[in-house]
Amino acid sequence: MDPSRYAELFLTESQEHLSAINTSLLELERAPGAEAPVAALFRAMHTIKGMAATMGYQAVTEIAHEAESLLDGVRRGALRADHVLADLLFATADLLERTIEATTDGHAPPDAHDVLERMRAMTRLARATPPRSLASVRGGAAGTRVVVTLEPDTPLKGVRAWMAAQKLAALGRLVATEPAEAALQADQFDRTFTVILETAAAPDLLVQVARGAGFVESAEVHVPGAAPAVSPAPVTEEHEIPERASGAMHRPSGAITAEFAIPEGAERVRTQRHIRIDLRRLDVLMNLIGELVIARGRLQAIAADRKDAELDDALAHASRLVSELQDEIMTTRLVPVWQVFDRFPRLVRDAARSLGKDVDFVIEGKEIELDRSMLDEIGDPVVHLLRNAVDHGLETPAERRAAGKSPSGRLRLAAMRDRSSVLIRVSDDGRGIDRERVLAKAKRLGLVEPEVEALADDELFRMIARPGFSTSEQVTDLSGRGVGIDAVATRVRQLGGTLELRSEDGRGTTVTARLPATLAIVRAVLARVADETYAIPMTHVSETMELAEHVNETVKGREVLSLREDILPLMHLRDLVQLPRHRDRINHVVVLEMADKRAGVLVDRLLGQQDIVVKPYDGVRGGLALFSGATILGDGAPALILDVNSLL
Amino acid sequence: MLVCDDAIFMRTMVGDILQQAGFEIIGEAETGVQAVEKYKQLRPDLVTMDIVMPDMGGIDAVREITKFDPNAKVLMCSAMGQQALVVEAIQAGAKDFVVKPFQPSRVLEAVQRVLG
Repeated sequence: MDPSRYAELFLTESQEHLSAINTSLLELERAPGAEAPVAALFRAMHTIKGMAATMGYQAVTEIAHEAESLLDGVRRGALRADHVLADLLFATADLLERTIEATTDGHAPPDAHDVLERMRAMTRLARATPPRSLASVRGGAAGTRVVVTLEPDTPLKGVRAWMAAQKLAALGRLVATEPAEAALQADQFDRTFTVILETAAAPDLLVQVARGAGFVESAEVHVPGAAPAVSPAPVTEEHEIPERASGAMHRPSGAITAEFAIPEGAERVRTQRHIRIDLRRLDVLMNLIGELVIARGRLQAIAADRKDAELDDALAHASRLVSELQDEIMTTRLVPVWQVFDRFPRLVRDAARSLGKDVDFVIEGKEIELDRSMLDEIGDPVVHLLRNAVDHGLETPAERRAAGKSPSGRLRLAAMRDRSSVLIRVSDDGRGIDRERVLAKAKRLGLVEPEVEALADDELFRMIARPGFSTSEQVTDLSGRGVGIDAVATRVRQLGGTLELRSEDGRGTTVTARLPATLAIVRAVLARVADETYAIPMTHVSETMELAEHVNETVKGREVLSLREDILPLMHLRDLVQLPRHRDRINHVVVLEMADKRAGVLVDRLLGQQDIVVKPYDGVRGGLALFSGATILGDGAPALILDVNSLL
Repeated sequence: MLVCDDAIFMRTMVGDILQQAGFEIIGEAETGVQAVEKYKQLRPDLVTMDIVMPDMGGIDAVREITKFDPNAKVLMCSAMGQQALVVEAIQAGAKDFVVKPFQPSRVLEAVQRVLG
């Protein structure tokens, strides 16, 4: 059997179990005597062990095995689930995770010696409580002796021996075993053991029955006063596997991991009709639908020229179907946020502990769904925000008491749906951002005029989101290396979202990321400058217009656009992409809008609206912070997507 | 055959071993409760049963299945170090056991012993 086929399955499934392990550990820590988390932990460890052993992942198997033994002690009540134990189990979970990662990546596993030894020591402690023993049997009596030798390396040979004794006992009365039954079960024999019976059964039958226990190399029967009956020499039996015919249901041979749903009668229980699909397949589907959307755009462009009613009709129909298909695929990619959020309680706990803080952490809206790849991307930024909150936002219990607050800080991570966006909000009830310090530093860096007396929330945010701006004097292990909020803001922007911050002195800080629920396909306005096409996401376009001559004015030497009541800054896309200005006057304007900020952008030509597929764009980091991605247009030409946030 | 294990990984592997030997998997269960329900529904010729499962463990499931059908043929899937549990399972009515990590030949031998 080729285990590589199963490696991926192993990895996914063990990660789920690791997540469950952490959840149970936190539960156990909150309620030290509880049985349910111990049982859950035991199951998870057991499952990982079984899978790892099958894969031949020695290091993983060993850790899971020791953890299982330890947990068994807890389960039997021989060990108390106190903080010492919880800490050891937390360390074990971490070690296990790292070992699984290393092993599946083909690296050498991390050093496990210390954790293993600590587990073994504790298990030995638990062994002081004797294991449950089964009905013991008197030894050293007379009767029919059946001497059984097991095959070398029989797994769980003690149980095999016990099974043989049980099977034989059914043919008479069991007098004794040699060694005694307890020793048999504890594997305290080499390969040979004796079952002593009072029985009238024929020796041949006894041999046959003993062999039925499995893994029996040979069996001999010594009847008092008779010649021994010996089992035939070890046979290599050719097992004939019967062609099975019964049973109505056929499992399709290709479906490896499908939950099997039974299409049967009325009292059918609720069956899950889920299948597991490799994420890459969904990505391929996503790309294909993207191409299809682009092809549709092209067809629509052609049809617009033809003015053929029949063609328009057919195309409209096809177009609707493509949209539906697109929606379906998008929906397929949605996963609940708990798939990533579930590991955060553990992280917050560790961070809080290392800083001597008490934190009440709650997660809300776990069931809110987000595109899988978006969720993967947002994990790190959220971790960052949580760490920031624990590190800088929340105070120590003493400080909180002094401020008249409850000693344990409150930290909340919430996911919410808001129209087509998903909001992810991290809020704490800590000390809030120190505006004085931010302002002082901003002045020192010359970012604000010296006469400014206070910073509004959005200004505050702009300051601390500047790369390298940090008010933290000491660099802690957790955060505060000056790459905090700006890294988060950048990542969120790359995902097509926005970040917002509210902070109240002494009351806490709230950071909200607004993300599109689905990824990759957005509606955009296409604009032309020289030979290049640029895409501007519709979410940030409030209108497009032809510029009448008189509304293009200059205020303080800068061009502005007066739009109804308002004066907006006006930019030339040609300037932004560093092209010379057009020799003719141009007058096509796209009005950009984000939060409460607006601006006009002058372009050579407007090409209309189109669905575009956002492709990852590597130039974002190094080059101009002007683009958030790229797309391929209907004619196959590439187009850059303007990052409206950085323009405003 | 009815394959009961809470790990998809294990179900897949056991299923593959059995199918390659020509057996037919007519159902899978991932909890003890499901195992009992599916047994009653499908009446498989043989059940492979993991010992440790959520929502009623394998041993209790064996007990329930044997109560329902005294001739049920259940093959326990155990790990090293589970002597006591295996013994308990057999006392509860399981016919034989295999030990993880599974070797196809061992699994099939056990199946043969159980099917007699």
